[in-house]
Amino acid sequence: MRGRAKLRLVLALLVLFAAAGFLLSLLVGPAGTSAEDFWRFLSGRNQEQAVIFLDLRLARAVLAFLVGASLALSGAILQGYFQNPMADPFVVGVSSGASLGAVLAIALGLRASFLGFSEQGLLAFASGLGIVALVYALSQRKGLFKIETLLLTGIAAGALASALTSFFLFMRSDSFDQAVFWLLGSFQLAGWKEVWTVAPWFAVSLVVSLWLAKDMNLLVLGDEAAQALGCPVRRVRRAFLVIASLIASLSVSVSGIIGFVGLVVPHGIRLLIGPDHRRLFPCAALAGGTFLLYADLVARTILPSELPIGVITAAVGAPFFLYLLHQKR
Amino acid sequence: MRATLTVLAAALLLAFGGEASAGAQTIRDDLGRPFVLPEKTPARIVSLAPNITEILFALGLGPNIAGATRFCDYPPEARTLPRIGGLVDPNIEIIQSLRPDLVIAFRGNPLRVLERLSDLSLPVFILDIGNGLDTLYPLIERIGRVTRREREALALAASLRAREKAVETALGAVASRPRVFVFLYGQGLWTCGGQSYLNDLIVRAGAVNIAAPLPKKWALYSRERIVRDDPDAVFVLAKSPDDFEKARAWLAGEARLGTIAAVASGRVFLLDENAASRFGPRLVEVLAAMARALHPERFGGRP
Repeated sequence: MRGRAKLRLVLALLVLFAAAGFLLSLLVGPAGTSAEDFWRFLSGRNQEQAVIFLDLRLARAVLAFLVGASLALSGAILQGYFQNPMADPFVVGVSSGASLGAVLAIALGLRASFLGFSEQGLLAFASGLGIVALVYALSQRKGLFKIETLLLTGIAAGALASALTSFFLFMRSDSFDQAVFWLLGSFQLAGWKEVWTVAPWFAVSLVVSLWLAKDMNLLVLGDEAAQALGCPVRRVRRAFLVIASLIASLSVSVSGIIGFVGLVVPHGIRLLIGPDHRRLFPCAALAGGTFLLYADLVARTILPSELPIGVITAAVGAPFFLYLLHQKR
Repeated sequence: MRATLTVLAAALLLAFGGEASAGAQTIRDDLGRPFVLPEKTPARIVSLAPNITEILFALGLGPNIAGATRFCDYPPEARTLPRIGGLVDPNIEIIQSLRPDLVIAFRGNPLRVLERLSDLSLPVFILDIGNGLDTLYPLIERIGRVTRREREALALAASLRAREKAVETALGAVASRPRVFVFLYGQGLWTCGGQSYLNDLIVRAGAVNIAAPLPKKWALYSRERIVRDDPDAVFVLAKSPDDFEKARAWLAGEARLGTIAAVASGRVFLLDENAASRFGPRLVEVLAAMARALHPERFGGRP
């Protein structure tokens, strides 16, 4: 019962913070609009700034929230999947693989779309999933994961993908800003097109992860125990790996690599509300979205010119992570 | 001759174009995207590069500029323009809030930002950085067309051509072409390769760029190559005379390039970095400065 009350409190606070974050995101920006302007826009009396409020600020806030939610959900899934609190989309190589795919799609000049995916998103997903499958295959020993092997394999595969990404970026001469975008992330160019790239697949993945959350709880007991308790282990594992890679890859394809969200947010939420994945998944997604919403707000207001958002998430995420590690010991 | 023909052709085009249709003229920008010409001179222009800002001012369009980058500092009036960010980080929200009726961009701006601006249905016209004076005049004329200042643009281009011709006439047929190295003072040994407009200026100034074989606009050079090439003269692109002195001292001392002909004979010259780094009207001044430094005897000075 106490747990439930705590869960409610956490959820209420998260929703409150998220709502405040959206409001702030709409009000604050370099164009210097006042709250009065916003009110006049809302009441329909002055549509002059509709483009700024809707197409620029709201689209950007929604995308930041969606990407944050996707990365945190992906991290929560991967941490359960590998039964390892160090797992996240970046560590297991999805992010680097996805950015390689996206950059490759641009370098090859692919522009078409398929099943609602942009070519960029599709190739990002393919190479993100590819890297994860590779890391998975290489770090498995007799059906077991050794933590060190997983981490090292992920780091090595990620570094390889990053090297290839840099290679394709630097082959083109006008790519400095592109390099910063892909390696550190940004929502500067966010629009509704990017929102629609991520939103449907995030929704599908969230539903699937909630549906399979009970099975994830069983997987924590070990694959054999889970199987004995009636969980179709192989199918569940495959589904989780695909959705975790999918939402992380699509996020990277619209905003570049944004680190630490997938690592720190699920970790922090697990400490707050416990390891039950039925609660962990939605709460982590909500918290990740809120975190990135505020991170983007800081990234675009702290300096006259915008900072890459990866700088903010690492600056906040890394110390927090160190604190968590220290606490645990 | 070719110049007169171009002017004639442009004049003809104007005469007939103006008559044929009052509103629906379309031209293509340097990315090949169609662009509908405005009927009259835009009143709120956003410029995304310093050379574009400079050309706009030269066409008398200073009061029509609504925003420019933080690097737009010439002419001095440009310094008080509202800032829209930098070359690689123009701020979309600020640009949108200025409600521009024309955005003139260049190929060095991130394409994704320009696409985003076009998506917001802002009229974006994208220009390329050319590789010599022969592309500078058409660039000016194209800016004249999209701002409906065709006559002023033709006049400006013609006067720049006249300046260029004057240098060409003074130089005549130069007997020997000194080999020069262009040094961008700052981080590393940056120079201009064979595809840069500065390379074109060097050739027109009666000299040879030692980095011309590099098929690039800007390139990193190595000290070893400079020693091997042993240039007769060095042009330093420096922001101030102070920086120029530092660059000269660096070449002679720290870089251990004191033995190359240019440094040993004192033929290290200052070029105004601000003028030389912008693909704009002041390039003919840079050309004149280069020619005078390399061939003083042709300009009434002592050899």
